[in-house]
Amino acid sequence: MVTLRHFFARAREGQLTGVRCEKCGELAIPPKALCPACGERAWQPVPLAGEGTIASFTVIRVAPRAWAAEAPYAVAVVKLKEGVSLLGRVVDIPLEKLAIGLPVRFRPLIRDEQTSVGFGPA
Amino acid sequence: MRRVAVIGVGVTKFGKHDRTSSELFAEAAADALADAGLPASAVQALYYGNVVGGETEHQLHTGPQAASILGIPGIPTTRFETACASSHAAFRHAVMEIAAGVSDVVLAGGAERVLNVPTAESTEYFAYASDAVWEQTLGLTFPGVFALIARAHMDKYGTTEEQMAAVAVKNHKHGTKNPKAQFQKEITVEQVLKSAYVADPLKLYDCCPFTDGGAAVVLASEEVARKHRKPVWVLASAAASDWMLMGDKRDLSRVPATERAAAAAYRQAGLSPQDVDVVELHDCFTIAEIIATEGLGLFEPGAGGLAAAKGWTSLGGKIPVNPSGGLKAKGHPIGATGAAQVAEIVTQLRGEAGPRQVEGARTGLAHTLGGNTATVLVSLFGRG
Repeated sequence: MVTLRHFFARAREGQLTGVRCEKCGELAIPPKALCPACGERAWQPVPLAGEGTIASFTVIRVAPRAWAAEAPYAVAVVKLKEGVSLLGRVVDIPLEKLAIGLPVRFRPLIRDEQTSVGFGPA
Repeated sequence: MRRVAVIGVGVTKFGKHDRTSSELFAEAAADALADAGLPASAVQALYYGNVVGGETEHQLHTGPQAASILGIPGIPTTRFETACASSHAAFRHAVMEIAAGVSDVVLAGGAERVLNVPTAESTEYFAYASDAVWEQTLGLTFPGVFALIARAHMDKYGTTEEQMAAVAVKNHKHGTKNPKAQFQKEITVEQVLKSAYVADPLKLYDCCPFTDGGAAVVLASEEVARKHRKPVWVLASAAASDWMLMGDKRDLSRVPATERAAAAAYRQAGLSPQDVDVVELHDCFTIAEIIATEGLGLFEPGAGGLAAAKGWTSLGGKIPVNPSGGLKAKGHPIGATGAAQVAEIVTQLRGEAGPRQVEGARTGLAHTLGGNTATVLVSLFGRG
């Protein structure tokens, strides 16, 4: 079973992990208890390449308190090449270069104990 | 199942208040009971929407808190929290309770107070309605959620920033006809387009404001409602949800929960979108109105932007949307919004909406969306 803690521990080392249903082959990220396609509970962790393209993006200019010093910053929904999508912060790509379809690659964003999902240049 | 009617409505002025949310609710609820012509002792249950009371007012347990401040302790009461759709969820619960024969008179409503804290703080609290582990840690905001949706809609259908601006202009114009609205001044497309970006492509004037306010409605069984001067019948009340995470949503240009809830509501009522005369829908952002008009079946997918720009959704247009001014101009006290939308539809179907009256309206629809599009409620109403 892939818990959130396991997922982020692997993500911190640079490895994105999904789960694949042993019954029907459905791929999911993040992990869910039951397979949304067949309802079974037979997940196995699978490594993901971390490569994808931007499906949509925005530049956040009015930020919550904790992030105000970092604004403006970009977040994007990224469609991974395995077919699942994930929201992440976009880093090291100039804001004016952002576009739907732009290839990006996963990278962990590490801040003290916290790991979150980031995407940088492919 | 028994028929259910709305027989009383009450809404506070929307804007900035120096009263607690429970005080705002109590004002609206007392007005709703007076409108219904019922004594407080007739109320058998209270279902209440409040979202960020724990954060902005350090107040949980807001169901009995609201009942106490209103002065009707002792009845069953529960707080509903489905982000911005909370009081519509409370309303649906009241409908089901009366339909099931459990109660004859139920009060539903909600209230919110957020203008007592700075914008950066309320922006953070509203973001609590997105996923704490996967999304809040990225600094995602609610304008950010709808900006992702807007960009996908623009990419798929060619929707423009000018079309989104037309929604804001229209709702501000409607708001000038509503004395309870937070904003009662017209704006122009140029003003919207020149306003500062909040989350590209959404600008300040694409966004509804932060608002304090309360709203309440009195629901009754047919037997009680028959004694009322102008009962408005609840023809349907439906709810649906969707994946919580933005990454799990299959098509960002659509809101499946709206489509599911609308289909269920039309089926319950035996109606189709063409039967609806007036709509109050959840325009937390201009793009949200465009996509809602598509999801409710008023226009084809992708045609919502054009419909707004052509004036089809204006008062006097094909299908007037948000005659109250909507969340954009009337304001959006998130815990109160669903009940306030129901109150507007009831007022319209009674023919009592004054300068913003949709002439001859017989069937109305209220649509409320929660947070990141993961909750939607749709209710349909008809006059006696």
